[in-house]
Amino acid sequence: MDVIVNGIYAAFQAILSAGAYVMLPLIITILGLIFRLKFSRAFRCGITITCGFVGINLLVNLLKTAVTPAASAMVSNIGLNLEVTDVGWGAISSITWASPIVGFLVFEILGINILMFILKATNTMDVDIWNYHHMMIAGILVFFVTNNFVLALIATALMAVISFKLCDWTQPLVENFFGIPDVSLPTVSYLSSIIIAAPLNWVIDRIPGLRDVNINIKNVQKRIGFLGDPMILGFILGVAMGVLAWMPWDKAFLTGVNVAAVMALMPKMTAMFVEGLMPISQAAQDMASKRFGGRALSIGLDAAVVVGNSDVITTALIMIPVTILLAFILPGNRMMPLADLAVVTFRVAIIVALCRGNVFRSILVSIPVMAAILYAGTAAAPYLTALATSTGLQFDGEIASMAGPSLTQTAIVFWSCISANPWLAIVILIAVFALVWYVVEKKIGMEKIQAYASQGQQA
Amino acid sequence: MKGKNMKRILVACGNGVATSTVVASKIRDYCKDKGVDVKTKQCRMIELHDKADDYDLVVTTGKFNDPDIKTPCIMGISLLTGIGQDKTLQQIVDALK
Repeated sequence: MDVIVNGIYAAFQAILSAGAYVMLPLIITILGLIFRLKFSRAFRCGITITCGFVGINLLVNLLKTAVTPAASAMVSNIGLNLEVTDVGWGAISSITWASPIVGFLVFEILGINILMFILKATNTMDVDIWNYHHMMIAGILVFFVTNNFVLALIATALMAVISFKLCDWTQPLVENFFGIPDVSLPTVSYLSSIIIAAPLNWVIDRIPGLRDVNINIKNVQKRIGFLGDPMILGFILGVAMGVLAWMPWDKAFLTGVNVAAVMALMPKMTAMFVEGLMPISQAAQDMASKRFGGRALSIGLDAAVVVGNSDVITTALIMIPVTILLAFILPGNRMMPLADLAVVTFRVAIIVALCRGNVFRSILVSIPVMAAILYAGTAAAPYLTALATSTGLQFDGEIASMAGPSLTQTAIVFWSCISANPWLAIVILIAVFALVWYVVEKKIGMEKIQAYASQGQQA
Repeated sequence: MKGKNMKRILVACGNGVATSTVVASKIRDYCKDKGVDVKTKQCRMIELHDKADDYDLVVTTGKFNDPDIKTPCIMGISLLTGIGQDKTLQQIVDALK
């Protein structure tokens, strides 16, 4: 056993030392071949993804160069420490796919899904390989910190099992509130919010007065719709940071332009990354759905399909300035929300569905959810930064995002697996989750969840 | 004639990056087969309110509803699940005529 583990480890080290730009095309080509793409197609995918990665790398650099002077001046001028820069989910996902162990983790998650599906432990067939990065980042970070491959596999397995179960349990909300049947959403950036939101919503339901508040907020899109445009939002934030850093006006304006440029260009680079990965994801999807798709009760899709809901958009537009405010006033937070303000919709979508479109309550619940993201992002920043640096990203200071270890679910798994006594923490985590599983499926029952969800049915 | 009859389709999803890439490429392939000249652009659904009116057709990967948008919108979730995919693709081609 030791020989095998050491052998695998040595192989990793060899690939790792070649650097991400060499490793990424190799890993992706191999993945493509496994999913039966032609070699030329698979190799093209590998190169496309790597080009996207190079672009993301340049932008992260530009963003850090643009905001670091302002962020440090804000510390010395007004004692506001927001030196951890939110570089966005795209950068985190590219770091994830550039890990040497990513190939193992893809098949681990797919295997766990198929196994749970055969054992009828889940109704979801998750063929959305692209979003596996949300689950894999936990394993990859654990591997990076502990150098323990077994712990990395366990972390990934925990992420997968928790995601598939949360996804099963929240499927009635997708069907009834969002009106999309036979689909469940195993996207962690969307699901994770339920961990805080569900208990909180339960508490609010038991507070007389508060539980009945439902302020109808109209015209949000007309008034602050511009906040939904990342370019304009980036400009405003950049200028604001420049002003708070007491920069001369031209420097503040320049900071605004640079942040706007990053916010506008980041999706283009990420799109290139996705473009390379999609043929592989599609091939995997075809293979999996040929064998299991016909039997699947719900098909796992990207949560992108529900965030167009108008209540979700309204809540997200309001939560953008609220999240910035939170970052400024929360004691101990060091994360400056930037790039991922563009995808706040994903973090609030499940909350809105849970609150059945009550925007007031959705905002109330979103505040602690977003605060948890900021704190978890701050806490994990040193690890994430070290991991990013090891894959070839270069910048000063620390980075975070609103994905990866900032998400509540990922944070719980990550910190358990790297704690002083990981085995004990993992056992406790499994016990707690088993209890939740028992309560949700045996005590509450899916019929009750179905009934709750259908009450909120929208016209 | 190329360029003159070019139809502009805006494909929107949650982040303007992931699922819209899949849907846009399927639309382009299908339209090419049918001899319809199209150009696709991607964005996030949150941006549709301001951008949709500059296009001939909007395809979203999820449910979307905004009474202010005058451009016809088609829900393209079937292009992700594969169920009823051809029907939706034909609907898209018909809408461009």
